[in-house]
Amino acid sequence: MDVITSGALASWLDRLAAESTLIAPRSVEGVLLYRPVTSSADIARDFTRPVLSIKEFFFPATERLLTIEKTGQTITLQQTLPEGKQVIFGVRPCDARGMKVMDALFIETSPADTYYASRRENTTLIGLACKEMGESCFCTSIGGTPDDHRDMDIMLTEVEGGYAVQAVTSKGKALLEGVPLQERPGHLPKQVITASFPFPETAYWPLRFNDAYWEQMSERCLSCRICAYVCPTCRCFDIRDEPLAVGKDQYERIRCWDSCAGEAYRRIAGGHNPRAAKGQRLRNRFFCKFYYYPQQYGPLACTGCGRCVDACPVNIDITEVMSHLAEVEA
Amino acid sequence: MPYTDEIQAKARELLSRGQTACVIGYEAGPRGRVRPAFIYSPDDAGRLVWNRGCTHNLTTYLCQKLRPHGHNGSKPGRVAIVVKPCDSRAINVLLAENQFSRDQVYIIGVTCDGIVEGAGFKSITEGPLQKRCQQCSEHVPVIYDVLIGQPAPSGKTSGEDKDLARLEAMSPVERAEFWLSQFDRCIRCYACRQACPMCNCPTCLYERDDSLWVGAGIRVDEKRTFHLGRAYHLAGRCVGCDECERVCPMQIPIGLLNRKLAKEMQTMFGFRAGVAPVPSPITTILNGEGS
Amino acid sequence: MYEPKIIAFLCTWCSYTGADLAGTSRLKTPWNVRAVRVPCSGRVSPELVMRAFDQGADGVLVLGCHIGECHYDSGNHRTAKRIPVLHSLMTFAGLEPERLRLDWVSASEGDRFARIVNEFTEAVRALGPSQWRHVNSLPSVELPNTAPQEVKEAGVGG
Repeated sequence: MDVITSGALASWLDRLAAESTLIAPRSVEGVLLYRPVTSSADIARDFTRPVLSIKEFFFPATERLLTIEKTGQTITLQQTLPEGKQVIFGVRPCDARGMKVMDALFIETSPADTYYASRRENTTLIGLACKEMGESCFCTSIGGTPDDHRDMDIMLTEVEGGYAVQAVTSKGKALLEGVPLQERPGHLPKQVITASFPFPETAYWPLRFNDAYWEQMSERCLSCRICAYVCPTCRCFDIRDEPLAVGKDQYERIRCWDSCAGEAYRRIAGGHNPRAAKGQRLRNRFFCKFYYYPQQYGPLACTGCGRCVDACPVNIDITEVMSHLAEVEA
Repeated sequence: MPYTDEIQAKARELLSRGQTACVIGYEAGPRGRVRPAFIYSPDDAGRLVWNRGCTHNLTTYLCQKLRPHGHNGSKPGRVAIVVKPCDSRAINVLLAENQFSRDQVYIIGVTCDGIVEGAGFKSITEGPLQKRCQQCSEHVPVIYDVLIGQPAPSGKTSGEDKDLARLEAMSPVERAEFWLSQFDRCIRCYACRQACPMCNCPTCLYERDDSLWVGAGIRVDEKRTFHLGRAYHLAGRCVGCDECERVCPMQIPIGLLNRKLAKEMQTMFGFRAGVAPVPSPITTILNGEGS
Repeated sequence: MYEPKIIAFLCTWCSYTGADLAGTSRLKTPWNVRAVRVPCSGRVSPELVMRAFDQGADGVLVLGCHIGECHYDSGNHRTAKRIPVLHSLMTFAGLEPERLRLDWVSASEGDRFARIVNEFTEAVRALGPSQWRHVNSLPSVELPNTAPQEVKEAGVGG
């Protein structure tokens, strides 16, 4: 296997930070987040995963789609496609999987989202295998593993004195040009894997649509948006036209994150809300992940990262839902 | 803990006698984390617990639970609720604002010696207390139908709010920088608002479809306006449970805004939220004031 | 050359009329002040003031009737309680305290109106432009964008 020493890795990352935008896990006032770094010394060590996923670098929380200006009788529309290379270091397999899940909608389904596609094109993912699974992690239940290299451009796995390097894609190979690697005999270390949760099949979910369970398990839900926002695969958004400059006829069309857990999400003109009850909203959330999205686009819209489990203030737990459904199925 | 048995017994009694339709309390989930529980049957009362991990302000569920249901506006069933001293003050604020009537809620007050840091997110009942508890000297709820625990004074003294003092000592420019760096990582998830019992507007001013007061973007100006506006709307209403700060996934110290205004309410009007069922001084004209 | 943008919320019955009087009396008042007439100073809610600062106002002035003279009896009582609370909150958030001012002007006090707006404009001018607004700034994770490329120009009836 190819190995890069820790020292060589640090130098390489410093070079990447100088040449393009390097994004890596960094502590921001005690909160671990993927953020741009100027030096490899800023990068956090010994972490499970940052609070937010990498999706914000492809599908930002707020994105300007167009500017619209009216001067006299003319209306001008301007589009600003994102350019500029970015490299994300320290990507966990669950996050990279999340991007593949979102690709099924944003790129592979026509028409492709030009903004998302552009960022995806301009980004290289340097993965970092997990040494062990976190308490709330369950990637293995969803068909992933803590050392899964499939969705990365480059995969790093920690070994003695450095990291084993796998160039997974041609983009990854290109980024590795000139990087000093040593050949070392041996195989990649195997990761510690915890037991996985039982998992009901996609086809089984519609049978449980009318269960009283949904209303019961959702009563404590606060209808905030934390679970959707921390999730690597949640992708609902709102689009608004808002004034851009005071006193001029200038507007911008922005797209920003939204969540089906919010009470107003499904409210339509006239005031009717088909998902007025929390049980309906949470049921939709889980069905979207395990039934609607796979039916429409292919992959499951969950990567088993466990962020929602950690972040929910009232302990709504996706693994509990999965276990409950598997129990009833059995 | 003996309180757990008492609370379970009370819940069993209320439900089997039909005195309440539901008991809102705390339970421990499969991961050991404490979370809100809604008990409808006396057989389920055994799920209820009380320990130092019971951090949630359960009164946030009351408005939804107690307002008239359905098209004919049928009156909802009476609800029993487990409250700590801070939570109990929230009930007074909600009563003052006519969110529901006193007879709709059976208050199981619990004497409290503080909740531990990490409660709600970890399986934890021992350890250092949350900051809000370190600064709190209340031991007994201000309103209750039954009291679990002894109504003795706690012997605790109010701790100094060092974080607030540090901010007040800064210059305006330093404070502006501080808040901008804090709000930068806000994701506008609204968990703070949703966790708050007093934030119960049918449509939040800052979430209007016409973006009247603040844009829809998750950008620093909008986020700052949302937080400041929300803090202002809570002046004289916030009881300092600090759940807003606890639930924040980005650990932004928004409780500082509320504590600052609570201090102003005390200084300017001699007012403390929820001690009695009286509305905030800036909500309306109080009896006795006039031209 | 920096000229402060001042938004003044003036109540219909007293301060707006007072401003009018200042005008007809040919008293010199700075043009920086843009008046927004409200029925009563009690209508001035935190959203209005914050929106003004968010949109780039350098100073916000709230003028109401003297206590005891409110056309709606107690509207200005509310103002007297609310604006100081808002002021304390905004300065806590980093706004310079001199940028928001509450005062009382009656319909017959044209000279008082002129004095207050002159004072306030100079106080705000001395502070320089307000740093409150961050013109549609995006969170720090945003990628560098290229200069806008014109995509489409459509002629549409006005």
